[in-house]
Amino acid sequence: MEIKTEQFSEVAKEGMKNAHAHAFLKLRAPLVKTRRETALSTFPDAAAAQAYGAVIREESIARLPELLEEFEKNALANGAKVFWARNANEANQYIVNLAKERGIQYVTKGKSMVTEEIGLNEALEKNDVKAWETDLGEFIIQLLHRPPFHIVGPAINIAIEEVRDLFMEKINLKEPTLDPVRLGYAARIFLRDKFHRVDMGITGVNIAVAETGTIINVENEGNIRFAKSSPRTQVSVMSLEKVVPTLEDALHLVRLLCRNCTGQKLSCYVSMDSGPKKGGEMDGPEELIIVIVDNGRSKIYHDEIAREAMRCIRCGACLNSCPVYQQIGGYAYGWAYSGPMGQVLNPLLLGLERTQDLYRATTLCGSCKSICPVGIDHPRLFLHYRAKDVSGDAALQAKKRPVMERIFFRLYTWAAARRWLWNGGVRIVRPFINKEVHQGVLSKVKGPFGGPFNGWFRSRDLPAMAEKTFHDRWKEKQKAESRKHKTEGRR
Amino acid sequence: MESVSLFIPCTVDLFLPHIGEATVSLLRRVGVDPIYHQEQTCCGQPAINAGYREQVKKAAKHFIQVFGDDEKVVSPSGSCVGMVKFHYPELLAEEPLWRRRAEELSLRVFELSQYLVDILKVEDVGASFEGKVAYHESCHILRGLGVSEQPKKLIRAVTGTQLVPLNAADACCGFGGEFAIHYPDISESMLKDKAENYLASGADILLLCEPGCLLNIGGFLNRNFPGKKVMHLASFLAQSQETMNNER
Repeated sequence: MEIKTEQFSEVAKEGMKNAHAHAFLKLRAPLVKTRRETALSTFPDAAAAQAYGAVIREESIARLPELLEEFEKNALANGAKVFWARNANEANQYIVNLAKERGIQYVTKGKSMVTEEIGLNEALEKNDVKAWETDLGEFIIQLLHRPPFHIVGPAINIAIEEVRDLFMEKINLKEPTLDPVRLGYAARIFLRDKFHRVDMGITGVNIAVAETGTIINVENEGNIRFAKSSPRTQVSVMSLEKVVPTLEDALHLVRLLCRNCTGQKLSCYVSMDSGPKKGGEMDGPEELIIVIVDNGRSKIYHDEIAREAMRCIRCGACLNSCPVYQQIGGYAYGWAYSGPMGQVLNPLLLGLERTQDLYRATTLCGSCKSICPVGIDHPRLFLHYRAKDVSGDAALQAKKRPVMERIFFRLYTWAAARRWLWNGGVRIVRPFINKEVHQGVLSKVKGPFGGPFNGWFRSRDLPAMAEKTFHDRWKEKQKAESRKHKTEGRR
Repeated sequence: MESVSLFIPCTVDLFLPHIGEATVSLLRRVGVDPIYHQEQTCCGQPAINAGYREQVKKAAKHFIQVFGDDEKVVSPSGSCVGMVKFHYPELLAEEPLWRRRAEELSLRVFELSQYLVDILKVEDVGASFEGKVAYHESCHILRGLGVSEQPKKLIRAVTGTQLVPLNAADACCGFGGEFAIHYPDISESMLKDKAENYLASGADILLLCEPGCLLNIGGFLNRNFPGKKVMHLASFLAQSQETMNNER
């Protein structure tokens, strides 16, 4: 998938101009919030359930190398094949070869963000293997040639009229309709035919269980189960952080995932595969191939703060609650992963230099952190990345900060450690700031200190800098009082 | 007489000194004697948020030296309290002595409404105002400190005041320090939503406990909806009805 993280500001502006998407997100936010809260309230103790999720994922990441080996051992024992891909290219090449060796013309795909990350569809198509996305949302954006707008609902921003026209043009919808059920049915008929003849299905993996070698998929449309059970060959692609120690851990995460994601206690389909079809079994693929994708993850594993981002189970709750995502939508983030989870993960996988905006375009409001079912402290990670830029961390491809900023913070922190210097600074800066005061209010600041204020004054005023600070006022009052005491004392 | 140490954020010191004075008179009214260390400056939040962790350590140590021995420290800002409470111990993690001092201090720093309601057990501060108010839940107060009921209890106890619901009260107003400067369009869009929700609430005054949000929302209202009021809770509680109605 093409990486456009550097175009964040431009694309964000376009996103805000899109009246349909903007209105939709505004309308959707409170609905999703209520649904999620209602679903969480079915836990005897929702906060404890979330905290337990955090513990499971914390342990999973802390023991990641060992758990992956255990998972591989058990998956092999179940009869699955396991391929370790160091990067996107290795994963894609391997899967393309699998298709070529089997003489496959097309594959059906279940929704999978890691295959968006590695750009699998593009790689397959380059090698004349057609990839059909079978999740309704993914199918729509595939036909439209657009990136996912949301990690869970990739096409939620597309107006229904656009879907109608698209289906009439591309998949033979005969009668124009705005009935979502009939539109869904048209897609279903079209895709059912693909499943019918498919020889290779490709899916992602929601959770991998180390103790049993099982892979778990969570979905609502049944398309993943189709993609897994119809073809002879099943390829399941997982990023390497998806593993958890036990089946019990996995089941708790499924409970959390569904509640936080779509506000369901359980999704319509949860499928678990422990190896391919065994002798005497009725259905299932003849071969199950699990592709474990690293793609930069093991390189950042030593950073114990940053690797917290790898706890993510892709529920999308942080996108739904993010006030910035609600304004700009999902395209601005410029890659497979959007919203706060993308803002903490993409910088690790792509490097800080070209993901600057992702960890800077945040108010640190902590909404994401407060609802995350696996305890990711997104604001802390944003500050961690910013600090890496300042210290020039090579491993994360940090980008040096501008000279003027470095000078400013040097002076500011120097003064903040000494009151006399702070007072002096205030006296020097004030006349420049207060040059354009009208009735105690500033609506612009000109001159050497004006630059950084431009963004502020675009939409708001600022009270003038007080001629007498609180500090000055307190001092004066103290003086007046001690004078009073003295006179009273004399009397 | 109970005495507390005042931690006046730099935004209050430099731009909103009346909030500091309101805090003083409010504390005196409930029988607390505020003391103010004149050596205090700024907690260093802008530098920590910008990633200048090494550079800001001296300022953090200065803060700990100034406030270190105080029994209780109270501030009319949740985000500044959050800096001292949560960030200082982490910032100084590699210097055990300083870290311990920071951890000890973190237990003794309180946001104003939290101090009044949780520590002093005061809800009715003897204020009165005839009218409707709404309350904006600032991010670092609500999600940072877990403070939400405390200010509302104080508001509900004001004679004649009706606390009306505010749609998306817990949504960020779009300031976020350097965020508002680097991403003015996104910030403005968030701010507009906040203002719209306030206007739709029918409240006469929007109350909050965070000077940063006050500068942001107040600056927008001043330019686009002059006459629509936003006030720090300390100012609201400290002023009598008469002076409030005469403002502007």
